[in-house]
Amino acid sequence: MNRNNRADYLGHIVFILAILLGVPALLGFDGFELNTFARYLSLAIVASALALSWGTAGILNLGQAATFGIGAYVMAMHLKLVASAGNPDGLPDFMGWNNVTSLPWFWLPFQSLTVTLILGLALPALLAWAMGIFMFRARITGVFVAIITLAFLVALQLWFIEEQRFTGGQNGLTGLAPLDLFGWSVDTYSLGFYYLVAGCLIAALVIGSLIVRSKVGLVLRAIREDSQRVRYFGYDVARYETFVFSTSAAIAGWAGMLYALVLEFASPTYIGVAFSLAIVIWVAVGGRESLVGAAVGAILVNLAEGRLSDMFVESWLLILGVMFILFVLFLPRGLYGLLRQGFGRIARLREGQGPKDARAQESAQ
Amino acid sequence: METFINQLFAGASLASILLMVALGLAIIYGAMGVINLAHGEFVMLGAYVTWALQTFLGIGLLPALPIVFLAIAAVGWGVERAVVSRLYRRPLDTILATWGIGIVLQQLVRIGIGPESRFIAGPGILSGNTGFGGVVLSNYRIFVLVFAIAIFAATWALMAKTEFGRKLRAVIQNREISECYGIRAEKVYAMTFAYGAGLAGLAGALISPLVNTTPSMGTYLVVDAFLVVVVGGVGSIFGTAVASGIVGETTAFFSMLLNDTVGRIAVLVAIILFIRFRPSGLFPQIVRR
Repeated sequence: MNRNNRADYLGHIVFILAILLGVPALLGFDGFELNTFARYLSLAIVASALALSWGTAGILNLGQAATFGIGAYVMAMHLKLVASAGNPDGLPDFMGWNNVTSLPWFWLPFQSLTVTLILGLALPALLAWAMGIFMFRARITGVFVAIITLAFLVALQLWFIEEQRFTGGQNGLTGLAPLDLFGWSVDTYSLGFYYLVAGCLIAALVIGSLIVRSKVGLVLRAIREDSQRVRYFGYDVARYETFVFSTSAAIAGWAGMLYALVLEFASPTYIGVAFSLAIVIWVAVGGRESLVGAAVGAILVNLAEGRLSDMFVESWLLILGVMFILFVLFLPRGLYGLLRQGFGRIARLREGQGPKDARAQESAQ
Repeated sequence: METFINQLFAGASLASILLMVALGLAIIYGAMGVINLAHGEFVMLGAYVTWALQTFLGIGLLPALPIVFLAIAAVGWGVERAVVSRLYRRPLDTILATWGIGIVLQQLVRIGIGPESRFIAGPGILSGNTGFGGVVLSNYRIFVLVFAIAIFAATWALMAKTEFGRKLRAVIQNREISECYGIRAEKVYAMTFAYGAGLAGLAGALISPLVNTTPSMGTYLVVDAFLVVVVGGVGSIFGTAVASGIVGETTAFFSMLLNDTVGRIAVLVAIILFIRFRPSGLFPQIVRR
């Protein structure tokens, strides 16, 4: 176990150095490329959020895009209000087109950046907390969690499109102002912005890893393996599940805020089933058991999509689908599992044992 | 009164479509615990096979039905052998793998046939409407309703009266012991999956004149159909029939009262609440695990 932990730490350090130093240097500090990569990093955050609930606690949240989308809309609402400051009443343009005459009350808090940043984390977390209590108190597990979260996602997206007066409907929120982050006017094509997103990703990974490695993480893994037994030990399973579910939602909301900044709009496709599936694919490819693995999976798949979808415009989704099926069938632990197996074998060889002896020794322990 | 009856019929028509889509899903889920998210794509393939038979060979919708059933059953059999059969020990992963299969099938059709919507003519004998007093009902929709009930009856008979059904029920109750009696469980599973897929294909063929036939048509259907299965109770095809009636009528009712989108949202929320308070559905199956 110790050996594996050491490899894990090494992996974390390599990953952090790569995104802090390697990537900007490789991209030649080019603004456009940095912006694209910042987008991948914000998607990596939501992937690691899913790995936190799915990989650690076994809660397959097929509606992760819902909390991500809420974060994105929160940020976009603030930026839209800033952009509409010159209009009469500060009313966003699309509301005028839809005959809304005054700013609705639930838009008012987003005039303040501080409140926006807090709500971007708190709204998804509160929503997930309510859903968590609703589901986990009733001991809903596995497949049913997946279906409830999926149905919720579909309902939420329909609702956002329906309430066109307040959400911009199918078009989403466009024409946003650049973010003014406490005096720093954020240019999304700058190195500074890249480091903001990279810093957020690292912070999210650190928070996630702290949870995974704590006693809470241990209990969560036990719940994943056998929730009934954990319950017999006297743990409040529902409370642990709700905790990890809402933490994961807050991180997803955080990622959504960054994503709205990078793309400079918020659209109902962020709350879509296709996007939610994409998150699941990234995590499955990278490895659901490791937060960093999931982040790497998101970056690699998106990088491949960016590079290959020019060549295979139509067949890209096909390639992605086939790859996903193959991963689920033959590499259920993803690239992380593959690496871990490889490292284990190398370490054993170095210690001069044949693989058979090592296995015998492991089972003896 | 006439609006009410029309609305009732709209709900029943929706319910009959849901029933045909959900029935195959219910059998697959009930028998193997596999949530087949590629089911919507089987429906879509059914519609496209009908379109191809009609456009290239001039075969009308009704004579095409048996061909569609066999074709999609073959696709289902292949999917079960190649992918699903490897995942029976990992139920959550079957969701993911079948989702992946759905994407692949959808994308293959989009590349091979094109993303635009296709037109499929309904059968000529069933065009026109039948009027009862002030109520006017479309003949084709009545036919779909009757056909769905017939399919349901046939499926029930297959389960309850045939040797295949007996074997399947034995495998559902206890796989190991039924294998001891010489039943080849993997063969039963493959046949069941193929039958469920074939039903989806039939559903696709029948709804093709009523809806837009596009590569993504299945995506909307599978979520609704799955919710119907869960509401009905896992493994109970009778429950599936009742649930599709309830969901169809409720959707039609809410759509009339509010509008289509709000109606859909209301039904989704109602179903989430239902799963929360009765996760085993309306007619839970009692099985020794």
